[in-house]
Amino acid sequence: MLDFDNMNSDALLKRYDIVAESKEKPETIAEKHLPKDPLLRKVAEDVLYMKYKTIEESVTAALKENTPEDVIEKGLLKGMDAVSDLYGRGIYYLPHVMVSADAMDRGIKLAEKALGSGRKTKGDIVMHAAEGDPHDIGKNIAAVLLKSNGYNIIDMGKDVAVDDVVKTVVDVKPLAVTGTALMTTTMSAFPRVAEKLKENGMDLPFICAGGAVNREYVESFPMGIYAQKAANGPGLVGKALDGWDWKKIRDKWDEILASSE
Amino acid sequence: MANMKFKKMEYSSADEMVFGEAKYPLSYGLGLKVGAGSVVPEINFAPRPGTEKTPESLTKEYVEYITKDIMERAVTLGFPAIQLENEWIAQMGENPSKMAKPIVAGQKELMQKFHEEYGIACAIRHTVADPRLHEEGLRFGMDKKRDYPEKIIEGFEVAAANGADVVSIESVGGKEIADYAVVRQDIRGWLFGIGYLGSLDMEWLWPQIVEVAKKHNVVPGGDTNCAGANTAMFMAGGYLDKDIPRTFSAVTRAIAAARTLVAIECGATGPDKDCGYEGPILKAISGRPSAQEGKGAQCAHCDMMGNLIAQVCDLWSNESVEYHPEFGGSSVQCWLSVIGYEASLMNAAKQLKQDKVLRDVYVASDRFRSPEAFILAFDNAYKIGQAIVEVGDNYYLRAKAAGLKAAELIQESNKQGKLQLSAQERDTLEKILTDLRALPDEEGKFVDWALKEYANVPAFNPKNYEL
Repeated sequence: MLDFDNMNSDALLKRYDIVAESKEKPETIAEKHLPKDPLLRKVAEDVLYMKYKTIEESVTAALKENTPEDVIEKGLLKGMDAVSDLYGRGIYYLPHVMVSADAMDRGIKLAEKALGSGRKTKGDIVMHAAEGDPHDIGKNIAAVLLKSNGYNIIDMGKDVAVDDVVKTVVDVKPLAVTGTALMTTTMSAFPRVAEKLKENGMDLPFICAGGAVNREYVESFPMGIYAQKAANGPGLVGKALDGWDWKKIRDKWDEILASSE
Repeated sequence: MANMKFKKMEYSSADEMVFGEAKYPLSYGLGLKVGAGSVVPEINFAPRPGTEKTPESLTKEYVEYITKDIMERAVTLGFPAIQLENEWIAQMGENPSKMAKPIVAGQKELMQKFHEEYGIACAIRHTVADPRLHEEGLRFGMDKKRDYPEKIIEGFEVAAANGADVVSIESVGGKEIADYAVVRQDIRGWLFGIGYLGSLDMEWLWPQIVEVAKKHNVVPGGDTNCAGANTAMFMAGGYLDKDIPRTFSAVTRAIAAARTLVAIECGATGPDKDCGYEGPILKAISGRPSAQEGKGAQCAHCDMMGNLIAQVCDLWSNESVEYHPEFGGSSVQCWLSVIGYEASLMNAAKQLKQDKVLRDVYVASDRFRSPEAFILAFDNAYKIGQAIVEVGDNYYLRAKAAGLKAAELIQESNKQGKLQLSAQERDTLEKILTDLRALPDEEGKFVDWALKEYANVPAFNPKNYEL
């Protein structure tokens, strides 16, 4: 066996991730998102620092002096805004977002209880993994990101039959429907979904993503909008919320992604 | 169900391992020898979207286009031996008798013709799909909607009876917990999902696969933790990716080795699956032939150990490529050329008795490219194997030992200034070490804790594992 430890590996590889490591402190970046009120700030910080075990205590305290709406809007969601900012800058990794979202979820449930009803969301999104496809981790990540951005998620799960997707979309009439597929032979369910949606008079963005899925394929059928990764979801759905139809979203796709990077 | 468990290493030292040689070589198919002194290219493929619509169109795609192209290119370039792998698409697993049977038979018939005409040694592996849904049930009689558990066994019967030489699977036990844990950077959850639940699922599944294989006199190859450790590895990605720290994925790989080993303990003989990057650890423990993939699989995915992972392989694979035209022929022909020439390089090194030099050069190329490459370098893979067999008779303890050893190896090299880590990778590593060291020594205590901790994970049903 050769002596690997005494080899100079600088000629073989360069750790660009270390070269590009952010020197900014998370606290400094987060500060601009955090509220001044100490109780709401504690709620936001629990989300920011992933303290899902103490958040219920913080939310309960904040609810004594704030309305449930303010605890959600000015506390929980502000904390999540800081998390999204840190994630966007590459300082936070995906697990930070997921655990922060878990914490936010617990807080929202408690605030909603005080509210006496569900909070008003930005709109419904129907999500599924394609018929025949058991891989849904990407869909689950996208669901968390969309939920954290204020949307109501109707998660149909994995290996969902084309007809079931269509029926749910027709019943719910969501802002958008999403589909994910890892394999080229399961993504063929997407054009069938699109075709049947059209037959049923539906005309909405059908956001498709996944390992084998590519932009050219998704844009080959009506309503298809490609997403490269889960983090593209809020940017694309945001345009549907602004009233853009799928044709305009598809047309301005590069600009939307560039502005949400 | 009792099965043997490895308590000692089949290799007496790491340096004993090299590509193209296994302690327990195999002969199967149409004159193919694996792990018997040479490396064999294993070409894998996927049909074009749309061809799955009917049995006729899919059979034509697999047999008349894909298999014919492959065999012609192998003969054109003078490759002495080749293995094909057909990873079943969902439609084949859904209806094996209708969709898969004509393909399995047709591929073998065509390979037989080439074998007879040119004497090329060849064989085909069929990897039956595991479409089981955790929320519906992993065991027989549980999935009332689709009968997926039953369909897996039906698939193996169809494959083994109609032309497969090797049968394999990428089983998904424990994936529901692993998927939940990987995005939360929760190593204890991942250990529970893959190290413990995944092992229990394989202990149920693999004796049945071995039984079918024996009945039809075909080789029960092996498994892979594609569903778990590869998910972590691909999410960890390269230097531009920020989803999962690479120290996390490295530790999941070591844990996965303790789980994928169960196939061999239940009677699988190798070669294990190409996408199981835990293969070097399995080979160090079991001495069974190993299929691996790296730089010749860039058609399917990018990894951080394209050269290193060839170090101790017996089959060298391209993972998978969709059939389509390229300038140099069809995609399967081009990628067969890539992996076939690499196998030829390895075999030339063997003939010149320079194989261990080439092995070390492969390792040197990528040893410090990522923590996962580092722990899979054959010397470190061997040490992880030793940690596993030391407590080999307990699934929980050996998975924990594997993870801990991998984390310690990474930390040690980093402290010596060899393996560089980003701040995020280092923080994650420290948390992993703290979390794993805090786990109990008794399986019962761990399982009791985990059942409570993960009780609300979507799709988790302890009954899938008889818990």
